[in-house]
Amino acid sequence: MSGKQRYSIASAIAVAAAALTAAACGAPGASSPSSGGSASSGAAAGPIKIAVVDAQSGSSSDLGQFEWRGVSLAVKQANAAGGVDGRQIHLTLYDDQGDPTVGTELARKIASAGDIAMFGTAESAVTVAMAPILKSEKIPNITSGQSTQLTDLKSPYLFLNGPTGVTYDSTLANYVVKTKGYKKIAMLTNNDSYGAGEDKAFTTALKGLGITPLASKVVPADQTNMTPALTAIRGTNPQVLFIGAEEAQSGLIVKQARALGMTAVIAEGAPAGTPLYLSTAGIANANGTIVSSPYLGNDASAAAQKFAAAYTGAYGSAPELHGAKAYDGAQIMISALKACNACTGLPLANAIRAVHYAGLLGNFAYNGSGVGIFATAIGIVTDGKIKPIG
Amino acid sequence: MQSFFQTLVSGLSFGAVYALVALGFSLVYRTMGLVNFAHGQVLTIGAYVASTFYLSARLPFAVAVPAAMVLTGAIGLVIERVLRPLENKDFDLMLIGTIGAGTVLEAAAILIWSSSGRGVSSPVRTAPLVIGGVRIPPYDLLVIAVTAVAMVALTLFLQRTKRGAAMQAVAMDHEAATAVGIHVGRSNAISFAIGAALAALAGALVGPMLYVSPTMGDSLGIDGFAAAILGGFGSIPGAIVGGLGIGVIGSFAAQWFQGYSDLVTFVVFTVLVMIRPTGIFGERTVNRA
Repeated sequence: MSGKQRYSIASAIAVAAAALTAAACGAPGASSPSSGGSASSGAAAGPIKIAVVDAQSGSSSDLGQFEWRGVSLAVKQANAAGGVDGRQIHLTLYDDQGDPTVGTELARKIASAGDIAMFGTAESAVTVAMAPILKSEKIPNITSGQSTQLTDLKSPYLFLNGPTGVTYDSTLANYVVKTKGYKKIAMLTNNDSYGAGEDKAFTTALKGLGITPLASKVVPADQTNMTPALTAIRGTNPQVLFIGAEEAQSGLIVKQARALGMTAVIAEGAPAGTPLYLSTAGIANANGTIVSSPYLGNDASAAAQKFAAAYTGAYGSAPELHGAKAYDGAQIMISALKACNACTGLPLANAIRAVHYAGLLGNFAYNGSGVGIFATAIGIVTDGKIKPIG
Repeated sequence: MQSFFQTLVSGLSFGAVYALVALGFSLVYRTMGLVNFAHGQVLTIGAYVASTFYLSARLPFAVAVPAAMVLTGAIGLVIERVLRPLENKDFDLMLIGTIGAGTVLEAAAILIWSSSGRGVSSPVRTAPLVIGGVRIPPYDLLVIAVTAVAMVALTLFLQRTKRGAAMQAVAMDHEAATAVGIHVGRSNAISFAIGAALAALAGALVGPMLYVSPTMGDSLGIDGFAAAILGGFGSIPGAIVGGLGIGVIGSFAAQWFQGYSDLVTFVVFTVLVMIRPTGIFGERTVNRA
């Protein structure tokens, strides 16, 4: 290689390095998200940019779609009513593929894209991975996750749009043991973050009531043949089978349990309150399921009926718990933005914490750990619908 | 003992589905020398098409399944046509092309049917057979029977028909096959179409057992692929034995190792393949480099 060629190459590398350095310093006009936030953005113009991060592909994509629809509906309604301080809210959807690693990449991406807040994710494991980055970038996040790993982070920027798994399961355990008098209880959970959380929460709740499960089996989250685990559980002859798995797998568990001749009452948290669970299990198999959920169906209240009508009109299918949670979360964010004049950063997080909102799931009032609702209700699946008890 | 036989029965039921998936892999490999990495996603499309015919169009299940096989077979023709320029020129790119095709099919499934899955009711409503306390769902017996028929039909096609023999000749030596007048492109197209139809059959049959979703083909594809390797890639009887083997191993691993069942299943699979790398019925019928 000649000296002239070496000089040309070195010059090209130097120019490229300079360009990259300039780009890394931020695009012209982009605000820095680590400035501590803005208490008032009266001088700001243009849309309010908020990110929605959820699985749009992979095994969790149905949950991601429900959340996207719930948030989109709330934002569409707010924009139609004039937005926030005359500014429209602009949502950008990011696909985390249900993968915590992808989630962390997206956390950095939304920070550099100028999104001032985030909705999502629907998977606690992904949200937990993103939380430290969002905290350092001062981006408030309202999530559909329910794992106590989220509240253990004690991030001032992280808020749940529903109760924690502990609330779901302690309410369920109290009903099953104290109200119905069942003592012979078996458990079947999966090994992802949701299932592991359910296993821990329900076992703890049972111990508090002096009950030890007859059997506690764990299956992989993507397992489709649960018959071996159910066969072992069937041998203990339980009165109740508690399930800690996502909607589709829960439905499969029930279907296969009934095929094995098990007549135990099924007890579960939020997933059993969804159409996905009912269609996978089959209505005949799902009837009698005891459900612990803060959203017992689209007929549960006048507000739920109004929400369901708007959702069905927009998307052509009825909503369920995840859509309702996401809708409530979005309404809380919009209320906070209105209260603080579209502020960002810590002032926005504080505004969210100050919101008192009567939502589809109940009355929200956030504590320091980011939990805003502390109760669920019990319903029984009857003829394919969930009927509240009493 | 009851628990043992119940676990065995459930393993054989799922194993029959893996065997159908493995048949499709083995056929395409046997006749083209190609591993079709879109096979799992073709299964997904077949499951969705069959469930749409069965649930939405309300066709009888026995009509919905063949209709789905025909439609999905046509998709196999399209995939082959897109990849044809690479045939006999760049095999590695063709392999990568099948991965791309699989990604496209999964995205198409989400676009057409949304990311929400659907439950499919069983077309067989009779009560399970109970033998010595072991419950055998009649639908599972149907799946096993259909798998056996598919294996026999495929074997007869490959061994007793000119078209089947021609397809195998193309894999052995495509230049010699061309020299004797065999149209390589058409032969490969038929191979892809039959492979896709087998994937659709597996998807349609597994729908009532599981849950139809855009990602259902991922794990079923992996299990079917492992079954094909275990039985001997390219071997038709090997696909059946491998499928049943993976199903039974997985079932007992689930019983004894619970949350680690996937790990144990594939450790056992790895050990078996290390002992016999060409698989149980291992044969080298293909001379692709």
